[in-house]
Amino acid sequence: MAVEQTDYEEIPGVTLTDRNVISDFVKKTKAQDILNWGRKNSLWFMVNAMGCCGVELLSTGMAHYDTDRFGIIPRNSPRHADVLIISGYVTKKYLPALKRIWEQMPSPKWVIAFGDCAISGGPFYESYSTHQNVDEVFPVDVFVPGCPPRCEALIQGFFELQKKIEAKQDRGTEY
Amino acid sequence: MDEKVGPSEMIVHLGPQHPMMPGPFRLNAKLRGETVVDSEVEMGWIHKGIEKILENKTYLQGITIVDRICYLAALTNEEAYVGCVEKLADIEVPPRAQYIRVIMEEFSRIQSHLLGMGEYASFVGFVSMFMYTIRDREDVMTLMDSVTGARVTHSFLRFGGVKDDLPEGFKDDVQRVFVNLRKAIDSYEELFSSDEIYRSRTVGIGVLTAEVAKDIGVSGPPLRATGVAFDIRRDEPYLVYPDLDFKVCVQKAGDVYARVQVRLDEMRESMYIIEQCLDQIPKGPLFPEGTAYGRRTPVMRVPAGEVFHRVEDPRGEMGFYMVSDGSDKPYRVKIRGPVYPTLQTLPPLLKGVKIADIVAIAGSMDTCTSEVDR
Amino acid sequence: MDANTMIDSLSTQFPDAVYDTKVGSNIRIFAKVKPESVKDVCTYLKKNLSFGHLCCEFGVDYPGRNEIEVVYVIGSYEHSVILTLKAILPRDNPEIESVVDVYWNANWYERETYELFGVKYLNHPDLKPLVLPEDMLGEWPLRKDYKGFPNKTARNLV
Repeated sequence: MAVEQTDYEEIPGVTLTDRNVISDFVKKTKAQDILNWGRKNSLWFMVNAMGCCGVELLSTGMAHYDTDRFGIIPRNSPRHADVLIISGYVTKKYLPALKRIWEQMPSPKWVIAFGDCAISGGPFYESYSTHQNVDEVFPVDVFVPGCPPRCEALIQGFFELQKKIEAKQDRGTEY
Repeated sequence: MDEKVGPSEMIVHLGPQHPMMPGPFRLNAKLRGETVVDSEVEMGWIHKGIEKILENKTYLQGITIVDRICYLAALTNEEAYVGCVEKLADIEVPPRAQYIRVIMEEFSRIQSHLLGMGEYASFVGFVSMFMYTIRDREDVMTLMDSVTGARVTHSFLRFGGVKDDLPEGFKDDVQRVFVNLRKAIDSYEELFSSDEIYRSRTVGIGVLTAEVAKDIGVSGPPLRATGVAFDIRRDEPYLVYPDLDFKVCVQKAGDVYARVQVRLDEMRESMYIIEQCLDQIPKGPLFPEGTAYGRRTPVMRVPAGEVFHRVEDPRGEMGFYMVSDGSDKPYRVKIRGPVYPTLQTLPPLLKGVKIADIVAIAGSMDTCTSEVDR
Repeated sequence: MDANTMIDSLSTQFPDAVYDTKVGSNIRIFAKVKPESVKDVCTYLKKNLSFGHLCCEFGVDYPGRNEIEVVYVIGSYEHSVILTLKAILPRDNPEIESVVDVYWNANWYERETYELFGVKYLNHPDLKPLVLPEDMLGEWPLRKDYKGFPNKTARNLV
C-alpha cells in the first residue's frame, strides 16, 4: 500500500527533499570508505528460517559459532536487519511475503542466497510450487552452496560480503 | 474463522515471518482487547510438492528427498520411508544395522528436542536458554556428523542396512558427551522448575485434555503430556525396540509446562537407549548377506503392493503410505506428519487466552512447518 | 479384540457398503467402502471398534481405470490395528461425504486432497485451498496427467 505523496511546499518552514543529495555527494568522497567500514562490521541478519538451511542459520547465530564477535547479529524484525538470508526454496505462495520483508528492510541492505534451493532450486527445482531463479527477483550478493551448507560456510559468506562492501562492489548500494 | 469483526475486535496476522515461528506459517487471531476470540492457521508457505517429486524419483533417490521433509528429524523420516520399501520387498535388516539405526534415530530425537526446547524458551522470553541448548546440541551434532558425515540432512539409511559403520572410539565419545548432557538437562530442569516467572507463564496455560487431543489425532509429546501413554516404539515396535528397556514418558497436566517436561524426560530416556544399544550391539554385516543391497545399484524394482509404516518421530507419529506398481519408482507416497494434527489444536487451544500466551502455547507444540507443508 | 473379529464385525454391520475385506497381518486390515456410506462406517468404527485416530486421508489417482481412490488410514489409541479404508470415485466428478464431524483432523487432509486431486467433499465446513496459492486451484497437481511437472524453468540447469 503506497502512502500518498505529500506536497512538500505546503509545510511551512520545513525543507524536505525526495532525492538523496547528501548521500550521493558522500559517495564521491573518501567519507564513503569510513561509512562502508562501519557497515561491513555490523551486518545484522534477519532470522527467516525457510527450510533445512534455516536450522543451520539458527545455529550460526547462537552460542557455539557465535557470529556476534564479527558484528553479525541475528535480528527478528526486518526493520532492524541489513542482510536478508534466503534460506530455502521460495515457493509461489511465499514469494510475495518475502518481497514484502525485503521492502520493509531499510537501506543499505544485502541478500545472501543460502543453500542450493535458493541458488538453483536444489532438490526441488522441478517442483510445481516453487519459484525458480530467485536471483532475478532479489539482488543477491553472495551465494553459499551446500545442501544445507555448514555454519562455517555461512560465516565465510559473510566475509565475502564484507570484502565486497569494502571494495564497493556490492549490489545493495549504487556507487 | 469468521472474517467479520465485531465492535472493539480486530484481526492480527502473525506471520508468515514472525519471531515466534521456527518455519513460516500464519496465525490469524481475532482479538477482543488482549483476549483471543478466534483464530485460524494458514499453511503452505513452503509447500514443495515432495509427494509429487517422490513419484518421479527412483526408490534410492527418494531417500535424499525424504530427508528434507522435516530437517530436524531427517533420520526418522528416512526410517519410515526405508521401512516401507523393506516391508514391500521383504528385506530383513541385519541386527548390527538395526542397532546403528536406533542409535542414530535417538540422537536425532535428542538434537531435535534440544533445538525445539531452546526455541520455545526464547519465545517465552528465556533467550539465554536458547544459547545453552544450542551449545549442548553442537556436541550431539558433532557425534552425528562423525557417523553420517552430515549435520542436518544425513541420507544415511539404505534399503536393508545403513551407509556406514560406527567410527572407532565412538562409544567413548558418546560417554564423554553424555556426562555433560546429563548435567545440562538437570540444570535445564532446575532452571525451568525454579524460575517463578517462567512457571507463572506456563503452569496451567494452554491445557490440552486427553479427550480433545485424541479427538484431534495428536501424537508425540503433546499427547503424552496429557497422560496418554501412546508411543509407536512400544505400541507397534520396529527395529530392535522390543529388546530395549525404556519407559514412555508421561505427564498428567497437559499444559505448556508438562509438554516441556515430557521432552526433558524423553532426552534422558533416549540417552539410556543409546547406552544400552552401544553395550548390546553385535558384530556383523551392515547389509543382508548374499544380496545386492548396499552395492551401488541405482535401479531397484519393488514388488507391487501397498503398505503403511509408521515410526516414532521426535514430534509424534510419522507414517508413510506407499503404493508400488512394480516399477522402479513409487506410484504414490503419502507422508503423514505428526505436526499436521498438532497444529490443528491451536485454534481450540487459543480460544480465550491472552495474546502473550500465543507464543508460549504455539512454541510448546514444537511445530515443524516444513513437515506440514511438505 | 483382534483383527479378524474387527473385520467380521464391520462386514456384518454393513453387508452392502463394505466389500473386499482382507486381513493383511494381525495389525493391518483392509476394506473398501461405497462412497455414500463412508461417514456411517467411520462413525461405527469410532464408536464401536475404538478406531479413534485418523492417521491420514489422501487420494490416489488411477487414470488407466479412470478412478480416484480416497484412502482413509485409521488407527487407534487403544489397540495397534490399522484399518485401510478405500472409497473409489469416478475421475471426472469425484465427490464424497466429508468425515470432519467424526474425525476432527480430517479437515486439513480433505482440504489438501481437494486442492491436489480435485476431490470435492460434501458438507465440509470450510473447503478452500490449504497449501497452494488460490490461483493454482483447478490444476490438481498430484493427478498423474498434470502438465506443469516437471517444472524445468531454471535456466542454469539446462
